[in-house]
Amino acid sequence: MLENFLGGLAVVMQPLNLLLLTSAVFIGFIGGALPGISGVILVVILLPVTYGMEPTTAFMVLTAIYGATVFSGLITAILYRAPGTPEAVMTAFDGYPMTQRGEAGKALGIGVLSSAIGGLVGTIALIVFTPMLATMALRFSSPEYFALAVLGLTVVASLGGRLIFGLIGAALGLFIATIGIDPLTGTSRYTFGNLNLAEGVGLIPVIVGLFAVSEVMKRTLDHESHQPLTKVKVKIFDLPILRQIGNTLTRSSIIGVIIGILPGIGASTAAMVSYSETVRWSKHPEKFGKGAPEGIAAPESANNAAAMGALVPLFALGIPGSGTTAVILGAFIMHGLQPGPMFMLTSSDLIYAVFAGLFIVNFMILLFSKPFIVLFTKLLNVPYSALGPIIIMCCVVGTYSVRNSMFDVWLMLGFGVLGYLLEKINFPMVSIILGLVLGPIAESELRRSLSMSQGSFEIFLTRPISATLLAVALLLLAVTLFMPLVKRARRRAATGPSFGE
Amino acid sequence: MPAHYFKYATLGLALLGTTTGAVASDADDFPSKPIQFLVAAGAGGGTDNFARVVRPMFEEAIGGARITVVNLPAASGALAHQRTANGEPDGHTLDFASTTLVTSLAAGQNPVGLDQLTPVARMQSDVMALFVNPERFEDFDAFKTYAEENPGKVTVGGTHTASPDHMAFLSLVDASGLDMNFIPYDSTGNATANVLGGNIDATTTSLSPLLSYIDAGQMAPILVFSDERLEDYPDVPTTVDNGWELTDGNDRAIFVHADTPALIVARLEDAFKTVFDSEDYQAYAERVNLDYRDGWMGGDEYRQRLESNYELYTRLLEND
Repeated sequence: MLENFLGGLAVVMQPLNLLLLTSAVFIGFIGGALPGISGVILVVILLPVTYGMEPTTAFMVLTAIYGATVFSGLITAILYRAPGTPEAVMTAFDGYPMTQRGEAGKALGIGVLSSAIGGLVGTIALIVFTPMLATMALRFSSPEYFALAVLGLTVVASLGGRLIFGLIGAALGLFIATIGIDPLTGTSRYTFGNLNLAEGVGLIPVIVGLFAVSEVMKRTLDHESHQPLTKVKVKIFDLPILRQIGNTLTRSSIIGVIIGILPGIGASTAAMVSYSETVRWSKHPEKFGKGAPEGIAAPESANNAAAMGALVPLFALGIPGSGTTAVILGAFIMHGLQPGPMFMLTSSDLIYAVFAGLFIVNFMILLFSKPFIVLFTKLLNVPYSALGPIIIMCCVVGTYSVRNSMFDVWLMLGFGVLGYLLEKINFPMVSIILGLVLGPIAESELRRSLSMSQGSFEIFLTRPISATLLAVALLLLAVTLFMPLVKRARRRAATGPSFGE
Repeated sequence: MPAHYFKYATLGLALLGTTTGAVASDADDFPSKPIQFLVAAGAGGGTDNFARVVRPMFEEAIGGARITVVNLPAASGALAHQRTANGEPDGHTLDFASTTLVTSLAAGQNPVGLDQLTPVARMQSDVMALFVNPERFEDFDAFKTYAEENPGKVTVGGTHTASPDHMAFLSLVDASGLDMNFIPYDSTGNATANVLGGNIDATTTSLSPLLSYIDAGQMAPILVFSDERLEDYPDVPTTVDNGWELTDGNDRAIFVHADTPALIVARLEDAFKTVFDSEDYQAYAERVNLDYRDGWMGGDEYRQRLESNYELYTRLLEND
């Protein structure tokens, strides 16, 4: 294996390949940073360009673009609350408040470092464990996915702020997720005969609207004064910070890899779940959403780890783990290659060259992201009267390009207004995203599980992984709900009977 | 007043001349403006790859044209069909669609009827089959016996409801009378993973995406939806062997507005036939494993096929 990897490294180090890899990283940087332009679209656009290349080079380039887009979504999420990719939406929750506090440089540094670490952990898992992890992924079926989604949803109780708002938000997210043709029965739900709604409400119009557009509205309508940040110093290696986020990085990278290798759910879910778990395990959950460094470290290490993890089932089984990897699978077929169970044996040279390429890409992110980010931070000095419209324009173009749909653009603007209003009452947006991302998984996997078991709920308890996950969810929920009561009782016991309160 | 009549007659003739002239020159001048390929599926999928591979070949076959490819994946491609049917009937808007066009129509999810579109040609027809984990079922007989002994217990996966996969399942149930359950997944990959992991019993889907699993011995086709046995799998029985007339594959075809002049449709069909017969195209078909049976079917023949399929699918969905 090490021999294979070194062989792959030698292929990557060929000058032409290195040059192409560097360009791919830059293309990925730009695409990932622009709201709406995601890895899927970039890979599709560049696919025809790779037809003329050697397959090895072609797939090094495509996977490098993929890796770089997942990283660079964080830049605009942190600086303008306009997540460049859906994977980066969680990063905005704590990244943007830090920018508002004048700590943009620190936030970006944490983001870059977490991304690179997550990416490296994911790549190493990919190189070392691919065949083993792939077999594990196959043990995951509908009951396990359902249990995982439930585990994610219970975190609503741990999020700061008013619990009732959290529940309303999650319910709203779940509701939005039900719109469209029900994939299991083919019935139209809340589409009102509108074809544009048949496929459901996309994640991108909602995210771009709720976050980017609402922020531009807020700063324009509320005449919020804009303090120009004259100098943003990005510090990537900061020892005290690293100590603070060390545990978060480890936990989130592992969560990221595990969720990434599961076919069907991708890096956005990984970022979501690891953020939730970080909040849950934190001693100061109330700090999240207000600029906690862990709130950047968790989603960024998880989404990059998951992006690499999603390649595991692709290479080992020919089953894509996410949207972009599905397009890469198509690209393999167009190049006359057949990813599947034998792929690791028949095309090991190619695969190890791709692995080595990804390994290098994660170092390139550390190396090249700084000058690239500086470009974006320069924009912070542009007056908001000019920057705001540019952000809106990027949002419109990006959202339109996803499905070539003007309807999605109107939807995005509508969610912008909604986001603006919800912001006024300090509504926890994270709960909406939670419901929206995990809702479809919970719903369809519950129904699929029941189809598998002919309607019996026992299936969730007889399968070990799903039973464990559900038990953990129940336990954590109980702990979060009863802990405050226990604490209060203890305090009361310690201070003796008091009638003052 | 003969002079009057004469005037009207010439005017009439002149008008006739311009109209007939216009029709002839429509087909001669075709294409008179840029051509749009509307892909009724998302970027990067099979139908999208098909349209993008065909594009330069078609450009050459039609004698030069500016072609843009637009993906309209929303609503199982219904938006692409709608835009084609509501556009100019001049043959410059081509709808690249799969069998999903007729299956979604039968399910009431696609408002554009077969009378609003004219098929130009079918170029691909991926063979459908029933796949199992060979460790679990040796052959179709074993599968059938198990399904008969355990009515309602067998789970078969495939892509979403009213997809070609689902129709293959429904038509198999309809013909064989076996009592089985269909579980719809988001993608072929997810259905495949569940068969590989032993979570479900089988999947009904097209052959080409599963070839690598068959080669690795992890999946096996046990029943092929075809009138002849496949050269590579001579031992696998066909539906027709069992006396079931189920030979529909997952097709990829090109459609235009229903009122497009016949001459232009013919011109388009010729151009696609030239593409189909070219070495480049055949090399592509072989590369993506779509050479198991002849994909080509002319527009008129394909229309009849679609109409009878529409009836069949509507009936199957109503009974389901």
